[in-house]
Formats: sequence, structure tokens, C-alpha cells
Amino acid sequence: MSLLAHTVQAGTPFVLGTIGEIYAERSGVLNLGVEGMMAMGALTAFMTSFYTGNLGLAIVFAMIAGGLLSLIHAFLSITMRANQIVSGLAITILGLGLSGFLGKPMIGMTAPRLGSFSIPILAEIPVVGPVLFSQDVLVYASILSALVLWFVLFKTRPGLNARSAGENPAMADSLGLNVYLIRYVCVLFGGVMAGLAGAYLSLMYTPLWIEGMTAGRGWIVIALTIFATWNPLRALLGAYLFGGVYALQFRLQAIGIGTQAPQFLIMLPYLTAIVGLVVISAEAVKRRIGVPAALGLPYVRGES
Amino acid sequence: MSESERKVSRRQFIGGTVGGLVVGGLAGYAAGVSTAPPAVAPGVPTTVTETARVTETATVPAPAKKIKAGFIYVGPVGDFGWSYGHDRGRKYLAKLPWLETFYAEAIPEPEVGGAIDRMVAEGADVVFTTSFGYMDPTVAAGDKYPDKKFWHCSGYKRSKNVGAYFAEFYQLYYLCGLAAAGVTKTNKIGYVAAHPIPEVVRHINAFVLGAREINPKIEAYVVWLFSWFDPGKTRDAAVSLIETQNCDVLAYTEDSPTTLQVAEEYQGKGKPVWSFSHYSDMTQYGPKAHLTGQVVDWGLMYEYILAYQYAQAFRSMDLWWRLGDGGDTIDGWRASDGGVTVAPINPAIPENVRTLIEKRRADMRAQLFEPFTGPIKDQDGKLRFAPGQRATHDDLWTMDWFVEGIVSKIPK
Repeated sequence: MSLLAHTVQAGTPFVLGTIGEIYAERSGVLNLGVEGMMAMGALTAFMTSFYTGNLGLAIVFAMIAGGLLSLIHAFLSITMRANQIVSGLAITILGLGLSGFLGKPMIGMTAPRLGSFSIPILAEIPVVGPVLFSQDVLVYASILSALVLWFVLFKTRPGLNARSAGENPAMADSLGLNVYLIRYVCVLFGGVMAGLAGAYLSLMYTPLWIEGMTAGRGWIVIALTIFATWNPLRALLGAYLFGGVYALQFRLQAIGIGTQAPQFLIMLPYLTAIVGLVVISAEAVKRRIGVPAALGLPYVRGES
Repeated sequence: MSESERKVSRRQFIGGTVGGLVVGGLAGYAAGVSTAPPAVAPGVPTTVTETARVTETATVPAPAKKIKAGFIYVGPVGDFGWSYGHDRGRKYLAKLPWLETFYAEAIPEPEVGGAIDRMVAEGADVVFTTSFGYMDPTVAAGDKYPDKKFWHCSGYKRSKNVGAYFAEFYQLYYLCGLAAAGVTKTNKIGYVAAHPIPEVVRHINAFVLGAREINPKIEAYVVWLFSWFDPGKTRDAAVSLIETQNCDVLAYTEDSPTTLQVAEEYQGKGKPVWSFSHYSDMTQYGPKAHLTGQVVDWGLMYEYILAYQYAQAFRSMDLWWRLGDGGDTIDGWRASDGGVTVAPINPAIPENVRTLIEKRRADMRAQLFEPFTGPIKDQDGKLRFAPGQRATHDDLWTMDWFVEGIVSKIPK
């Protein structure tokens, strides 16, 4: 497996999680529950694959599980107007705890794994072919959805509606848009994608179930969302950058580079996130990249 | 036992690395109570044996009182690694009719004092604390509750009513090394390692010593995860060893079967890569790629410890079980290796190597063979153990150098 093919695989859960979170945040709802939703998605996918052997069903159920969990966050933060940070953290705690509890019978079990297949013709392209077109179905889906979702978000009316709910919900409301509904749909979509990211982990990347197997990837998704400046295409790039760092750090160690300070290599993904965030949070940059103005603020009709 | 302050056990690190897990575990915190089946218990005759063994030092009244034992784990019982192994040991005890057990999982090390207090309040007669960082609070609890018994796993401090216990794997890693030498085609073997601490360094060294007993041309490469538990990173690390150095046998210290799964994946692609079990028999994760491995059975150790208490003959012991300990070489306790043993051995390993594995295994049980016996040089060529010299407990417990044949360096 080449470094690049490895990079794409390592980056795929980040792609899936991040484009979902981008939609939630674009509509004005910060969801810190990604880690929990991923864990539930991973467990549901593995369990379904274990009991039915049907990988398609496993993927669908993982998306439903992530979506259901996100609806709790939507209800709390949109309808009940609870603090989004608190509610999101609660979702993470709930998702990790619940998946650990429900997953007990799955420990030590094996289930069918998602295989990869080559796309005819495209896989023949030198360099790019083996990297992008000899992968599994979720890799293809993640690339395709990044492209489609970028188009939807920036070039279509529903995308514009979603963005306006996150920029100026009062204005959107006065134009006749149902801000609550838009936010619900976007948060739900974020949950579905987080569930899918979890499914990728337990069906393909490390095909097993162990409590806490997401190991902090949900938090990287949160950082990547900002890093990608809420743009699905940049999310694709950012996710592969992170995937590349994951793949590269151990290859460097194995060939004896940085062996006196592998801690530094291990730190790279997080360091990249921090540096990226610092750059982005500079006021001038902030104006240019367009942080959703109403991000994190509950919308109350008639109050703003 | 040793005063080796340098020994930093794996548990210490877990608190930090599974921060999220711990929080999640709190939600799932459940003091499971397993009531022992009251029927015939095979444990009883063994208990009698134990009782007989200690009659010199204690008058043995008729053992009648039920014992309630509490177990405190640092991780979730679902980690399929450390805490899972201890909980499997606890479940094994369900056959003892005189014993009732309960547990608390995902207890962060700073909070163990409170967890012990709660267990004592709930009527525990004996509490097992299973993380290195629990050591001082456990000893303190011993002073606080002089009529209760405590056992701490993987540490070195004891007191009147606090004992220490640990199961050690280095001999088994040596056997894994023999197996590795039997199958490697590239003469390059790899190790996915958690943290650079003496316990892990000792295991890597033992693995490489075993491999080089058969084939001194073998070179070993090590990558460090700086995490006890992260299946994703483990996969990245294992793939890296295979892809960049062409290692075709991978041992590891990490709490998931991921490395074995990666090996199996390569087997499926027609490239033979091999790996091992760790803690539990993990054959199911890599039916082709699985060579053998190290397996621990804490249940035997717990039964051994509790039998003393049931016979009202508690002693503050320092139990350090290796091959054969708790098995038939001690006192006919079991017709097996005891608390630690090898996983099933793959017939793909050449027969002469399998024979050697069995021979070394038997010799280690009988203490006729010790992996760390000189001459042993470190990777810089310096002689660490003179010919015939055996490593002492302290040597093993403070090991911070790699043996000859390992190419990678230990991070400082």
C-alpha cells in the first residue's frame, strides 16, 4: 500500500465527519457530539454486520444511529435553546457510554469487512488510479459527497437557505424560511455523516469493536471543520492532510527519522490543528473566511 | 520487592490517553454484582490444598464466612485488553460459592481512594486495585481500614494488609520471537510498541532475543504509538513497518487485536505477514496470520489469592507470576502453565521450531532456561550481561536499552 493510498484511507473518516459537521455549523449549530455519534455509528455498523452479514445494511444503520443521537442535540439546542456546547458534550458522553454498554457482547467478535474494489478504467490512471480508484465504497462516497455537498452549499438555493440560517436567522425567518426546520435537517445530516465515519472505522479501517475505538477522532473533526473554513472541498484537503500525517508519522519512525523525538511526530496532527486554528482566528482572516455569524447562538423568534 | 522507582507501568498512562473513555465510562459506570452459583464448585478441593499448605503458620478455623471482593479497573471492561482481562478473571471466580464479587470500571487514578471507600462501605472484605497509579492510595486505604485486605496489581509497595501481584510476559515474548524466526522470509521483524517504559522495552528485547537464538541475521524495527490504546494508529504503525522496512512478523504491545488484523489483511492479499495474540487468544482475528502469543489468566491468580483469605490465612505476598507460576511446577495447583501461557501455536511454523518452542517453554517453567542470560550485548555492542549471568529482577524492572539486532532507538 503506497503512502498516498494509506493517506486516503486514514483521512476518510475525517472527510465524512467533517462535511457533516460543516452543514450543522453552517446552519448555526455547533455540535460537539461528533465523537459520541461516531462511536455509536461504529458500534451499530459492526453489530449489524455481525448479526446480518449485510454490509449495506450495516452502513445504513450506522447512519441512522448517528442521526438519532444528533436529533437529541437538535432538540436540546434548537427547540429547548440549551447551551450548544453543554448539549454537544452530553452527546459525546452519552454516545461513548452507551456504545460501551451496548457493545459488550461484541467484544472479541469478528464480522465481515468492507472490501475494496477497483473502478474500471479510472483505476488504470497512473499514480492517481491506485490511490483514489482502488479503494472501498466509503472512500468513493466520501469524495463524491464532498464534491456534491460543496455544490449544494454554495450553488443551490437549499444551500443558501442553510447558510442564511447560520448567518442571520432573523433575516432568514423574515424571508419566510423555517429556521428551526433548516437547523434540524442540517444537524441531523451532521449526525448521519458522523455515524458513517464511525462505520468506516469499524467496517473497514479497524474491523472490530472495542469500547472507545474512535480514540478522539471526533474531536479532530471539530478542529478540521474550522480548519476547512466550513467549506466541504477544503475539508477534503484538510482531512487528507491529517490522514497523511497519521500515515507518515509511523513511516518516518520505521525508517529511523525523528527516532529521538517520535513524540513530536505523534503530535503533528494536533499541532497542525492548533496552528491552523490560530491562523484562522486572526480577526482579519476571520472576516475573509466568513465564520457563520450566528454559530452557537440559539434562535428565538422575535428576539433579535 | 525492588525499590525500583523507575518502573513506570502502563496503567499510569491510561488516565491521560483515555480521557474521553473515562468520561464515557462514568455514564456506563455500573457496579456489577455477580452472585456465585451455589452448586458444586471445583474450587473447593483446591482450597483445601491451600489450607493444608499454610497450617504451619495459621490455625485454620472452619471456613464458613462468605467473602465479598471488589475490583477496581482503570479502563472500561470493554477494552479487550488490560481491564477486560482482569474482569474475565473476576468472572472466572463465579464458580466459588463462598465468594461474591463486584467491580467499578473506568476509575481515573486520582479518584481511586473514593472508589475504595465506596467498596468498603458496600461491604467489601477485600479490594483489588488494578492500575500502577492506584498504588499509593491502595496502601493508604490499607492503613485506613486495617481489618480489610487489599491487593495492588503491577506495583511494588506492600504493607501488613496490602499485597502485590503481577503476571509477567517476557518469557512468552521470547517464545514469540522463536516463532517469528521460524516463519520470516525477509529476516526483518517489527514491533508496534505503546510507550518506552521498562516493561515494554523488556518485552521487545525478549522477542528479539528469541528470534535471534534461531537466526542471528534477523533485524528488528520498532515504532512507538505513545498510546496504550488506539486501533487506528496501531493500524497506521503496523502498515508502516510492513511497507517501509518489509517486516513480515509483527509483535506488539497495544490493547487491541489490530496488528494481527493487519497481518491477516496482508495474508489475504497474498503477502505472508504474521502476528500474535496479546492478553487473550485472538486467533479469530487472524486465523492465517496468528502464530502464537502471550495470554494471561488473572482468574487463577485471583483464586489463589482469595483461597488464602477464605482459609483465614491472609499473607501480604508479593506475587510475580511467570511461566509455570500458579501452575503445576509450584504445587500441583494446575496441570497447565498457570497464570500466563502461550496462545495456540500455528502449525505453519516449521516443526523443528515448534519443538524448540515447547522445549524452551518447559525449560522456563522448570526455571532451567532464562531468556536474559549472558552473553547479551546492547545495540551499541556493549556487553550488558556476561556469559552465564542471569538478569536479576531489578535488571528486568529497570531495563532501558535495546539488545543487539534492534535497529530502531529508544526515544529519550
